[in-house]
Amino acid sequence: MSEKIYALLLRLFPSHFREAYGEEALQLFRDRARDEKGFFPSVQLWLDLLTDLAFSVPGQYFRIQPALIGASTLRRLDGLPSFFILEDQLPRFGALLLGCVFTLGAVGAISVLLTQVGPYRIFRPWTFQPQRSGSAHSSAFKPAALHAAGEAEGRATASVHSATSATSLPPGDNEPDDTQPNTLLIEDGPESSRPQIPPPGAQKAVAATNRVVNGDATLDAAARHRVIVGAIVTLKEHYIYPDMAQKMAGALLAHERSGDDDAATEGPAFAALLTRQMRDVNPDRHLELVYSQDPLPQHMTGPSAEDLARYRETMKEQNCAFQKVEILPRNIGYLKLNWFPDPSVCRPTATAAMASLNHVDAIIFDLRDNRGGEPEMVALMAAYLFDRPEYWYNPRENTTQKSWTRSPVPGNKLADKPVYILTSDRTFSGAEQFCYDLKMLKRATLIGETTGGGAHSGVFHRIDDHFGMGIPETNPINPYSEADWAETGVPPDVQVKAADALETAVKLVQSKLAKK
Amino acid sequence: MPKRKLDPLPSAAFQILLSLAGEDLHGYGIMRQVAEQTDGRMRLGPGTLYSSIQTLLEGKFIEEVDRREDARLGEERRRYYRLTSAGRKLARSEAERLADLLRPARAKKILRGDYV
Repeated sequence: MSEKIYALLLRLFPSHFREAYGEEALQLFRDRARDEKGFFPSVQLWLDLLTDLAFSVPGQYFRIQPALIGASTLRRLDGLPSFFILEDQLPRFGALLLGCVFTLGAVGAISVLLTQVGPYRIFRPWTFQPQRSGSAHSSAFKPAALHAAGEAEGRATASVHSATSATSLPPGDNEPDDTQPNTLLIEDGPESSRPQIPPPGAQKAVAATNRVVNGDATLDAAARHRVIVGAIVTLKEHYIYPDMAQKMAGALLAHERSGDDDAATEGPAFAALLTRQMRDVNPDRHLELVYSQDPLPQHMTGPSAEDLARYRETMKEQNCAFQKVEILPRNIGYLKLNWFPDPSVCRPTATAAMASLNHVDAIIFDLRDNRGGEPEMVALMAAYLFDRPEYWYNPRENTTQKSWTRSPVPGNKLADKPVYILTSDRTFSGAEQFCYDLKMLKRATLIGETTGGGAHSGVFHRIDDHFGMGIPETNPINPYSEADWAETGVPPDVQVKAADALETAVKLVQSKLAKK
Repeated sequence: MPKRKLDPLPSAAFQILLSLAGEDLHGYGIMRQVAEQTDGRMRLGPGTLYSSIQTLLEGKFIEEVDRREDARLGEERRRYYRLTSAGRKLARSEAERLADLLRPARAKKILRGDYV
């Protein structure tokens, strides 16, 4: 019996060894088994054999075969590629079959991984088309909240927001829609850097060429004049107050005549200068002229099915920017939301998040890293905090029936629970709307820092390849005595460093709950 | 022959060479002789034994001699191995190398004994 076991174990050795020494190895085993009888000697024998197998089997597989010695020398001498046959027998049929099965399995596994990339990021670069990843268009659907910090992020936010909003609005269509934003948002970073408006739906090849030709051109007097004339035409055509448009046009021309513009030879500086000149006459913070390094498209078109699919995929990957939903000690709900995503994609995620916090005694919204998003999602989240429709101020919309929260939400129990919002100077745009409105409605306590101050809104009009204007075409009614957050930000109720906001909030909530 | 396999000489190969210094032996005989000359510290398993024999054969340090019967082990005909002059030389140079290693140890009185 034990001899049979050892004979089987010998099969672990490569065939060339078995053929040469298999029989002798077995013979040696027989000799030892005959001489070493008894329990302990047998145990010792098997221990020896297994140790021996563990060391000598790998050694045999890594052994340099005599046939290979000198092979490399021969090849060098001949200068021609040559093959050496190490085994003079065909592999066994079973071995061939096993090889086929393993090869098919490996090839199949790789192709499945390539087509069904799923969350395996490592395979992503292999499957995406290079022209898509390189264009501004494709980056437009990345949630800015998840970008790196700093000024670059401000610009990225502008990209996202203007692209998603603009693309959902066919040119000339200003009718509010129930599911999609109706205005183009032109946002700026807190540092007042000019936004780089991406070309949504641009003909990418043309845009790329233009960038090379015109990208860094300096502006001469004629070029500046063309921009000024373009701005005046756009103002007169679209600005809500015609008399004010006339006044601003006059001012722009007067500045040009008196040589005030001569020093502005670069696009961003010239755009900022014209914006200042217009606002000197008419302090409308939603009106501005912007410069784009990338050429602006002739017509803004809607996002392609591909873009939407990408957006969905990104949102799915990022859990719709709902970074954390948890219940802290003392039954305090905590929701860290980094972006107000499109409800048409993320409504189920938002609903599930709010449902999981339905039974908390107080709720903390962490918007310290929230860079804005879709006004619809802002309103959707706010609806949970009221038991009846509340007027919901949105500087980007005309006053319509849409401006009311859709409260009460069936089954919701959060309408009477204390609400706390954590803010930082990075809290921006749509997130600031959430803060401002809830603060004005005395529904939330803001803890942290004054927010970024991004409320720019308007419809974007193209002047030429690099200049465009954001012009407010709506006249929203702000029912509150306090001006909205545009450029000033929303000040917190409890001012602490953003990093300490959560700790402060938890203490406040606990003391409030303890008093009950 | 892959020279690097025996440089340095593995202790199993050295012991096999030593075991064959006195007489020709078959595999089991080598195993027992090695166990004896190392006071049972080295018990060569079949894999290690025949791997080493294979290497030594390839290097022509040992050679096979005609099969014959071992009266003590019964009727089976067995392959016997014999030390070649090259093998004897290799064993001697290895023994000298080891002696050289031990000499300073003796001088520093770390190792006692009169055989080095």
